Amino acid sequence: MDLAQRDKLSELVEELTTSGQQQLNQEKMKEIKKICKLSNDYVDHVYHSVMAQLDKEHAEIRLSAFQIASELFSRSHQFRTRLVDNFQEFLELTVETDSDQPLPPPKEVAKKLKISAIKTVQSWQATYGSAYKKLALGYHFLKHVKKVDFNDVEARTVAERTQVEERQRRMERIYRDRVETAAQEMEESYQEIETTVTEMKSCLELLLPDEFGLSDQLSFGDVALGSLEPAHRHRLEDELPCTSQSLTAEGALWKEMEENRGSNERREEEYEKKCLDPRMEKKPSPETVVMEGTAIKTNQDCEGKEADGDEEETEMDDVPDEDVFIRNSGLISHSYNLNISVESDLQVKETEDNEAVVSTLIDLHRLITTKHLPAVESWVQVFTKIGPEQQQLLRRALDLKNTLAFLLKKEKLLHIDYKTRIRKVTRVAAEGEEDDEDEDDFEEVPEKEGFEPHIPDHLREEYGLEPLPSTAAAPTNQRSPPKRLAPLVSPTPSSSFAARRMKRRLEEERDPTCAAATLHLLKGQMRPCTGPSTSVSSEPPGAPPSTAEGSQTASSTSSVGDKAPDAPIVPFGLDLYYWGQKQPNAGKIIKSTSQHRFWVPNEVDEETENQEVLAESRNRYISFPGKFTPVSHHCNASLGNGKLCPRQDRVKCPFHGVIIPRDAQGQPSRAEDRVREELEEMRRRKMHPEWQDVELMQDIEAATGEDLGSQRLLGKGKGRGKGKGKSKQKYPNLSDLKKSADTSRSRLEKKVFNKSSMRRVTAVMNKIDGRKHEKFSNQFNYALN
Amino acid sequence: MLGFLSARTAGLDDPLRLRRAESTRRLLSLELNHGRDVDRIHGNGVNCLDIEAVEGRYMLSGGADGVIVIYDLENYSGKQQYTCKAVGTVGRSSRFAHKFSVETVQWYPFDTGMFISSSFDKTMKVWDTETLKPADRFIFDGNVYCHHMSPIARKHSLVAVGTKNPKLQLCDLKSGSRIHVLQGHRAEILSVRWSPRYEHILATASVDSTVRLWDVRRASGSLFTLDQHNGDKTKAAAEAVNTAHNGRVNGLCFSGDGLYLVTTGTDDRMRLWNSSTGENTLVNYGKVSNESRKGLKFAVSGGCSPDCVFVPCGSSVAAYGLHSGELVATLRGHYNNVDCCDFHPDYQELYTGGKDCNILAWIPALRGPDVEDDTHVRKDAAAAAASAAGPAAANSAFEDAWSSEED
Repeated sequence: MDLAQRDKLSELVEELTTSGQQQLNQEKMKEIKKICKLSNDYVDHVYHSVMAQLDKEHAEIRLSAFQIASELFSRSHQFRTRLVDNFQEFLELTVETDSDQPLPPPKEVAKKLKISAIKTVQSWQATYGSAYKKLALGYHFLKHVKKVDFNDVEARTVAERTQVEERQRRMERIYRDRVETAAQEMEESYQEIETTVTEMKSCLELLLPDEFGLSDQLSFGDVALGSLEPAHRHRLEDELPCTSQSLTAEGALWKEMEENRGSNERREEEYEKKCLDPRMEKKPSPETVVMEGTAIKTNQDCEGKEADGDEEETEMDDVPDEDVFIRNSGLISHSYNLNISVESDLQVKETEDNEAVVSTLIDLHRLITTKHLPAVESWVQVFTKIGPEQQQLLRRALDLKNTLAFLLKKEKLLHIDYKTRIRKVTRVAAEGEEDDEDEDDFEEVPEKEGFEPHIPDHLREEYGLEPLPSTAAAPTNQRSPPKRLAPLVSPTPSSSFAARRMKRRLEEERDPTCAAATLHLLKGQMRPCTGPSTSVSSEPPGAPPSTAEGSQTASSTSSVGDKAPDAPIVPFGLDLYYWGQKQPNAGKIIKSTSQHRFWVPNEVDEETENQEVLAESRNRYISFPGKFTPVSHHCNASLGNGKLCPRQDRVKCPFHGVIIPRDAQGQPSRAEDRVREELEEMRRRKMHPEWQDVELMQDIEAATGEDLGSQRLLGKGKGRGKGKGKSKQKYPNLSDLKKSADTSRSRLEKKVFNKSSMRRVTAVMNKIDGRKHEKFSNQFNYALN
Repeated sequence: MLGFLSARTAGLDDPLRLRRAESTRRLLSLELNHGRDVDRIHGNGVNCLDIEAVEGRYMLSGGADGVIVIYDLENYSGKQQYTCKAVGTVGRSSRFAHKFSVETVQWYPFDTGMFISSSFDKTMKVWDTETLKPADRFIFDGNVYCHHMSPIARKHSLVAVGTKNPKLQLCDLKSGSRIHVLQGHRAEILSVRWSPRYEHILATASVDSTVRLWDVRRASGSLFTLDQHNGDKTKAAAEAVNTAHNGRVNGLCFSGDGLYLVTTGTDDRMRLWNSSTGENTLVNYGKVSNESRKGLKFAVSGGCSPDCVFVPCGSSVAAYGLHSGELVATLRGHYNNVDCCDFHPDYQELYTGGKDCNILAWIPALRGPDVEDDTHVRKDAAAAAASAAGPAAANSAFEDAWSSEED
């Protein structure tokens, strides 16, 4: 036996088994066979090395070793004898006959190994079973004792099969239980959902009666359900013929509208109102047209009716009425085409009339989305899992779900304007059920009692006051610049609308029962009280500070107005307090020379005057730290991706160093800066050649197992921080067994069992124990526990 | 061999000498043979085997599922290939069968018309071989771990029964009653053996790690307990009782001549004792792996010059030289734990039964023709094997199949 050949054999076997491949490398295998063919000694040697590899705790190694063995088994008698002699161990290592020695990870490979091993043993048995007794025995053992079903592709033993069955049965039981509970739950809450649905429907109906053909658009969803219980379906069928009804209703509405139009000057307003009216005209949306064949006709009919209505209407009107109409409306002709562009979706505005309905609707909506719909969805999920025997339940749950979803959709279609009434809703809800709403919905409002002379600017609107023209004059300080009150007359009463409003208000002010009158009165009182304090403004109170007034006043006002926000507000000191007076105790220090209560030496002057203190009291320090000027320049260093660094540091960018003037390309504009930067770049390159991408290097290292020096490049701090660093992986092709799976369990373990948290827990526990000990240590009956 | 034969023909040698030499050779060449099979009747582990001493033809086996099978070992077919047929079976369907695992079976030493079996169903049954019906039945309080009947007793027909109860029961087959109780052990008795030399001497091994020798004529107590330290007072002083092992003692076997006693314990040791003095002979067998919680049935060969003891050892059977303590051979063939083995003294065959339901026959290999030419070794071996296994199988199975493409 040639030693070199022998070594080569071992090497080949090791290479083959540690390749991590699922299939053997045929060339190497051929080489092994070639060597083995020379002599039985080589076969023995291969046998030993294969068995050694089979013993490794890695399924991939085992699989490859097994493949080598099966290749050689069919070739060499010597190998067969050797292997069969040790067939127990072979089976243990490949077929997992010993439950104490499970196949090593990775799992998939182990499974594959087992399956292929079982198949191979079967084929061996067929070919060589009669000649090698132990092989036959082993086969028999697998078949009868381990109860391996050789026809079963899964190659499961009986124990595994029963385990799987058991698990299935258990799951089935669990599912059954779940279905039962879900069915029961459904029974219980079915009524509730029904009532909710009915309520929601009636709410929707109230908000948007069916006369606008809305229902035919929406009810098609209902029809699609198709499988509602009879009662429900009946109701739907009642709703169905509403297309024709709605058409006539529409026609009637149009007529009514035209009449309105003809009546008087209010017409325009009416018309406006109509547009804003919650009962919006509704043209069937395009999608409806597609969905429903008749709807197209409906649409056309609608147009036709519209025209008809117009004509009819014009014919019906009397002549004097007509004149009035023409005069009032300013329209030239009666025969006009009215093009109303109505959005396909509805817009329902909430008013006082439908407030209650809308709030109920909102409540119902919330109820459905938060409670009913999730519940129904979970039932559907449960019922779908159990299979065909629960069809009825499933259908029922699906019906419910569809109904709810349909209602929600319908409600959404209405586009109810909730925003204006959020406060109200919350208030209503809060009154109704406290637990439902968070306190966040309430604003903290400072308590006020009676009359408030100073109304914050942003609240003036609420109080029915005109906004102040200048925000700078907000009444923050009594002493500070003059507070200009809101002028009664708006400075730019340009629009007639505003004029009308002003007029109306003036009228109201004259009415003593009106709130506006009271306000007017209050304003009048406020003016004199603020008047004297305004030293600068000499304008008559209430007059608008317009530029049309005297230039002197204007300039003074503007100068004050300019300065006012700039001038710092300084806390005044003692010197200001005693401005122009002699300070009584300034600079005097009271000395008590004797500590005794009664014995006082008489000739001691208790008060001494200290010039320094006196001077100090006259001095005052005004600290003025200067003004914050925001940084306007950017770092502008080139970032490599064509962009410039957008950081706005004052002096130094943390990434690119001291900020220097740069050109549009990010290059320093000064020559010396450019030179310095180039030098730095050179130095960096020397340390970190550009082709050495650290991450890529790490990947390569992980793949090949060779050290390319990524650790060094990573830097001393990071690289060494991890400890000794991972040792060089021996067989990089094999899948790594130590790599822990990123499971929720492992993540939790990392958290729960890390040292610091353990220590913390122990500390707390010790403390608790200690406390108990302190409390009860002197009581014998606690001492034992 | 030829030398022995010629010496024998010339009358120079004692006939025993040839016999001993040949049987020793056969003993050492035991191997799993393709030629000998034992019918697979047991669907569960085989707990015990017993080959009758009268003809050496029938073998009893008791299974863990309560099945008892009688095999005919004799090969009258004239062929190499032989499967030991089951001539009688007490199967699960039989209403007399034991309910639970049969722990011990034993032939009546003087006739094959009767055998005794004991089981975990707390009974011991005396069977009529012809009808396979129990002739008598003894019921005990606890599981019956073992029983034994003296192979040489002429004056009594006592069966010693070790049960969960620490008291050893003696049942008299003549009267069909339990006539005597031997007290001394403190835990269940896992193994009991009568001495093949003195008909009143009895050895018992127990969970309390003691081995006691009894004289059934003496009711007061045991003769002595075996002491693993041989009465070394420094150690024994501390202990109230002498122990034979440091764990449970679960195997017990007298040598063929009854002079020695071999015990095995769960401390993975095997010890050889002088049965008359109770002295530990301190033969070192090394580690004899033993995890059985029940009694272990092992066998000692008889009539060979270095006698061997065959001990089940995991899934293999280890053969140790009885006095030398060296491991002679390891017989690997079972795929699961081996529970019992029995040695056929006439043919030097070993039968082993294990948890893998198999009963394997280990037959001495035929001596191959002496070879002069080294180059023909393999072919000859193959030919020998072929002659053993049948020509067709040999041709295809024993040849190397290197494909030509590998050249």
